[in-house]
Amino acid sequence: MLQETKNVIEVRNVTKDFGDFKLDQVSFCVPEGSVCGFIGQNGAGKTTTIRMILDAIRADAGEILLFGEDNRKNSARLREDIGVVFDEMGFHTFMTGRDINTMMKHIYKNWDEAAFFACLKRFSLPARKRCGDFSRGMQMKLQIVVALSHHAKLLIMDEPTSGLDPIVRNEMLQIFREFVVEEDHTILLSSHITGDLEKLADEVVFIDGGKVILSGNKDEILEGHGLLKCKKDSIGQLDPASVVGMEENAFGVKVLVRNPAAYKNCPEAVLERASLEDIMLFYNNRTR
Amino acid sequence: MKGLMIKDLMCMRRQLILFGNVVVSVLVLSVLYVLSCKYGNLALANVQMMRENGLTEVDIRNLSTWELALFMLLPIAVTGDVATVFRMDGEAGFAKVSASLPLSVEKRVIARYLTVFSVFGIGVGIDVLLALVLSFLTDIIIFADIIGIILSAASVMSIYGALTIVFCFWLGNGKEDYASLLSCLLMVGTVCLVNFRKIRDIFMAGMDGQDAGATGDRLNVLMDFLKYRFYLLCLLAALVLFLSYLGAVGIARRKRGII
Repeated sequence: MLQETKNVIEVRNVTKDFGDFKLDQVSFCVPEGSVCGFIGQNGAGKTTTIRMILDAIRADAGEILLFGEDNRKNSARLREDIGVVFDEMGFHTFMTGRDINTMMKHIYKNWDEAAFFACLKRFSLPARKRCGDFSRGMQMKLQIVVALSHHAKLLIMDEPTSGLDPIVRNEMLQIFREFVVEEDHTILLSSHITGDLEKLADEVVFIDGGKVILSGNKDEILEGHGLLKCKKDSIGQLDPASVVGMEENAFGVKVLVRNPAAYKNCPEAVLERASLEDIMLFYNNRTR
Repeated sequence: MKGLMIKDLMCMRRQLILFGNVVVSVLVLSVLYVLSCKYGNLALANVQMMRENGLTEVDIRNLSTWELALFMLLPIAVTGDVATVFRMDGEAGFAKVSASLPLSVEKRVIARYLTVFSVFGIGVGIDVLLALVLSFLTDIIIFADIIGIILSAASVMSIYGALTIVFCFWLGNGKEDYASLLSCLLMVGTVCLVNFRKIRDIFMAGMDGQDAGATGDRLNVLMDFLKYRFYLLCLLAALVLFLSYLGAVGIARRKRGII
């Protein structure tokens, strides 16, 4: 018998109106044991959604369940099992790794001092150096070390790889992969660098202008879309319902289509695999 | 909660070092002052004032108490700067980290109050101890007089601190200076409004033919109030502190992520 999938995060019809920006009926789920990529351009509503998941902002409508519980009722207790990594460090620049350990061991019930120092050593982060003197990559790693040192079951990361060089980014992706080896470990990773998510994510949620425009299994989404390259006058032969968007260039047009299998043997067009970036760009252009 | 308090104390590290230095300096200055009052130039000056200006021994003791109290208020003033932690949290962007910690909004607010007012309490405690030691060692000051002044000043500083904290929560990160200014203005404004007539009389003395002696009497009444009715200020400080805590929790609950 198949075991029922448990959702670690369930966002249901969440709405938040800031006046100049509105998060509109956002709904998605993150299954346990998965890596969910939360994709969208800057200002799409990723950070706001994450802050609402953490109960740092209250939604106007809708509900959010964390580990099956209402995040507003037990937010402090639920955060015990969540590790959070932000795009900026957030710790005071005068603090050293030892200072952070002293602070955190009195905050988290499950804080593992030995694991914290072992992690610092593994990532070559000096425990006695002020974190303000760390490079950006080191600061991000420090946040990850903190997030991993209280045996969190869910990692929520808001643009953790932005502004990092490819080597550090790759190193961080490796850390995330190791984290999800445990089957009850889950990651929600927001990013606009779709390449990282393509390597790592099992699920993806596209958000744009405060609305979720696409969500589901990454492979299914990738298989369900194709990039068709054809001449401009062949567009008329395409099924309009399957066309997501198109882009003209000097050689013809690039069209993102749903159900690419239908165009596999199309003589006047070349069908290519669409990347997450292509999908994000075409969907974004469509909503403009 | 303890973790946040430790972090706040780390933020106040520089302030605490300054506090240590000020305490040592005040101790040295007070001892020098007392010695000078007894054997040095101040003793000579006091004798001269008694002879030439008609001051009595009680006047001289009062004067000495006030002069010494001024030194002794310095440690309270150093520990009373409550905006530092808010400023440093704002600069670091700690609000985001704080919002992700497994602590309720109430605990985060109370941690801030406990840290700030514990440090302030240490400042007041050291001052009281210093006053006790000095009053035991010399007959220049009377403990009952100086303790009243210290506790009155501590109450005023505590009201200022409590107001500044609630304004910091209200105005948000980066506006700590406005919060401090607003607290000062509110306190000064309230005192001026409540005592408008008395203040007007003091400033108008001499200009409209009033007796300058009456102004002196009014000042003496104020001084006596600070010395002997300090408990009223202490009660007011406790009330403002309680209301400030309630206000801060309410604001922090509404704003959620800012603390």
